[in-house]
Amino acid sequence: MPFRSVFDQIFTIWTAIAGGVFVLVTAVLLFAVVRNRATKREHLPFAASENHKVEFGYVVVLGLIVAGLVTGSFLAISRLHSGEGLAEEAMAGPSTRIDVTAFRWCWEFAYAEAPVTVTGTCTSDDSPVVVVPTDRPVEFALTSSDVVHSFWIPDWAAKMDAYPDDVNELRMVFPEEGMWRGLCSEFCGTHHVTMDFYVRAVSPAEYEQYLAAASVAA
Amino acid sequence: MTRTAGIPTPVEPGRGGEPGLLAGWLTSTDHKRIGLLTLGTSLVMMLIAGGLAMVMRAQLAQPELEVLTNDRYNQFFTMHGSMMIYLVMTPFAIGAGLYLVPLQIGAPNVAAPRTTMTGYWLYLVGGLIILSGFFTTSGAADHGWYSYPPLASSRYTPGAGVSLWIIGVGLVALGLLLMAATVLWTALLKRAEGMTMLRMPVFSWSIVATNLMVIGAFPTLLVAVGILAFGRVNPDIFTDNVWNIGYQHLFWFFGHPVVYVMFFPFVGAVAEVLATFARRRFFGYKFFVGSQLLFAALSMSVWGHHMFTTNESSDYYYSLMSIALIIPAGIEYFDMLATVVGGRLRFTAPMLFALAFIPQFLIGGLTGIMTATPAIDYQITDSYFIVAHWHYTLAAGSLFGLFAAVYFWWPKASGRMLREGLGKVHFWLWVIGTNVTFLPMFWLGMEGMPRRIPSYLPEDGFGTGNLIATIGAGLLALGGLVFITNVVISFLRPRWAPPDPWGGHTCEWATSCPPPRHNFDARHPVPPVRSYAPLLDLREEKERQAKAGAG
Ligand SMILES: [Cu+2]
Repeated sequence: MPFRSVFDQIFTIWTAIAGGVFVLVTAVLLFAVVRNRATKREHLPFAASENHKVEFGYVVVLGLIVAGLVTGSFLAISRLHSGEGLAEEAMAGPSTRIDVTAFRWCWEFAYAEAPVTVTGTCTSDDSPVVVVPTDRPVEFALTSSDVVHSFWIPDWAAKMDAYPDDVNELRMVFPEEGMWRGLCSEFCGTHHVTMDFYVRAVSPAEYEQYLAAASVAA
Repeated sequence: MTRTAGIPTPVEPGRGGEPGLLAGWLTSTDHKRIGLLTLGTSLVMMLIAGGLAMVMRAQLAQPELEVLTNDRYNQFFTMHGSMMIYLVMTPFAIGAGLYLVPLQIGAPNVAAPRTTMTGYWLYLVGGLIILSGFFTTSGAADHGWYSYPPLASSRYTPGAGVSLWIIGVGLVALGLLLMAATVLWTALLKRAEGMTMLRMPVFSWSIVATNLMVIGAFPTLLVAVGILAFGRVNPDIFTDNVWNIGYQHLFWFFGHPVVYVMFFPFVGAVAEVLATFARRRFFGYKFFVGSQLLFAALSMSVWGHHMFTTNESSDYYYSLMSIALIIPAGIEYFDMLATVVGGRLRFTAPMLFALAFIPQFLIGGLTGIMTATPAIDYQITDSYFIVAHWHYTLAAGSLFGLFAAVYFWWPKASGRMLREGLGKVHFWLWVIGTNVTFLPMFWLGMEGMPRRIPSYLPEDGFGTGNLIATIGAGLLALGGLVFITNVVISFLRPRWAPPDPWGGHTCEWATSCPPPRHNFDARHPVPPVRSYAPLLDLREEKERQAKAGAG
């Protein structure tokens, strides 16, 4: 799922619309506050307490706004689920599957392709680092061995909950090499705050080398 | 006891011996007393919940501070949220209806006053049980206000705090359900002559919509806490995930309507205050009433937008239903703005709170459209962005509506005026404090700060935003103290209130301050009701006659 690009686009549009509405409403309100002081006005600016034509017309306008926003939201959802380019590949093609088990209070990453498991204690610099290939679909199969946790990589706008007795799949493509912090975003108890992990994306060739070396070590 | 104004204070008719003052209140069958007990209790609870928030803000002011241990901090945020929702905003909303609806519709009392008093008792006892967790060895509940299993089970959070929380929330929910039911019954069947449904004041209508939601949604909360109670005895049920997901569905089926329970009465109060101080009839009454009913209906079908990241709720359906909320919300905004645009405005303390409600709640509403858009929600949920979003709805919005109501109806309930000057100081401290506290949280969330963390590292880059937020919280605390001072002064150096200090529109302003035992009497009869603003009708009638007489 191309979380980041979809998020950036729709969040920008939504923020612009929200900003416009906020400015409009606040401007009308301030205008009235300045112009309509009782000390300045002898009579009501207008006396009508209803106007069904205007009100019905306005409801129609609201309906159109809803239709527009729902369309935008639906398009964004369908781009998340099927998308185009890399994203399409992410939903269809074969992927690197990594079984992720959240537990109180750290993570375990088990690669399906090789006998490699990465984990840690999530205390003072012992956060697990999960290595993934770039430009190829990666599937995080999320589960929990105790309470509800949530797998979040803020820099990629990707988040999915992890439950016991259940597997939630999060498929995505890392288009560039780099290292990003991930964390638990569903409150899970005392050390919820330190449940950090890192995702390191490397080229597919380097990834193969990593898996081979790690398998030997195991 | 007589007052300087010369009107004797109404005395509860004794039945063989006057009960003591405290006993008189706690066994009262007067909706005003039960209402004031509920409102007073919720304001005291607000003080405690606010105190918890101040300690949390102190801890978050800078990276790696340790004012509280992790577990203590977890108790504080759990109790802050639980109290504000179950013990402050919801009971205040329902209690305000209990106090005001009979007065507004010209009824002598609430229907079934003893059941209503039972409701208050359940709320009070439940609240004290929740709070009593602080006095157990393992401390108060520390598992979050929505109490997800399996974390809420005895396996993962074994202390007494969570068990007490479950019992307390169950009792409070039952109590508020009873209270909402009797007030709804009153509004539907106990209206004065001439007070048709479509002449009920806007505030009373907002309470009808609110109490309909309470009756529709609170039973589900009782079922949900029942599941939790079972999980305290047998935590093994949660190894089957259907119970975890099932709980979340039940909880949010209650959880979304309750958000509007904490919103409608305050928007209703804002509408009354705006109309009164704009010296005009509230604009768009019929559409406003319709929008509240539509809002209430839709509120029962949007709960899944709290659960997008669970992968167990339909992205499309809940996005559609949630975005559709723009229609009723948009109507209400139009009507509030039209009332202000078409009015002659007086800037009293209640009016200032009501005016600030409009743009501040709007920020909460507009960011709510973002949470209704799954492609955005996946990123912002459980981050500080969400914390900012609902503090804009509940604190910058509903709480401002709450204080508009307090300043507006304080003279009616207590017979005393609050000091305008102090009210305005409170207002400005709160407008500045609210925005300084909650605006930076949007940016913190965008930078990846998750909610419910007791501290963060210097390299996270959350320091500046949090420091600003903490300074804002200090202003809020200061404003709160100014309000308390105002209340204390109104008791120590009372300025007595006339029956209608503001030029009100609705029936409660036709009776004395405070009203007599049965609300209206021979000296203060229920006025003739020909519209939703009967007192305004009378004034306009008088003006017309004066004009005709002069001409
Ligand atoms: Cu966790």
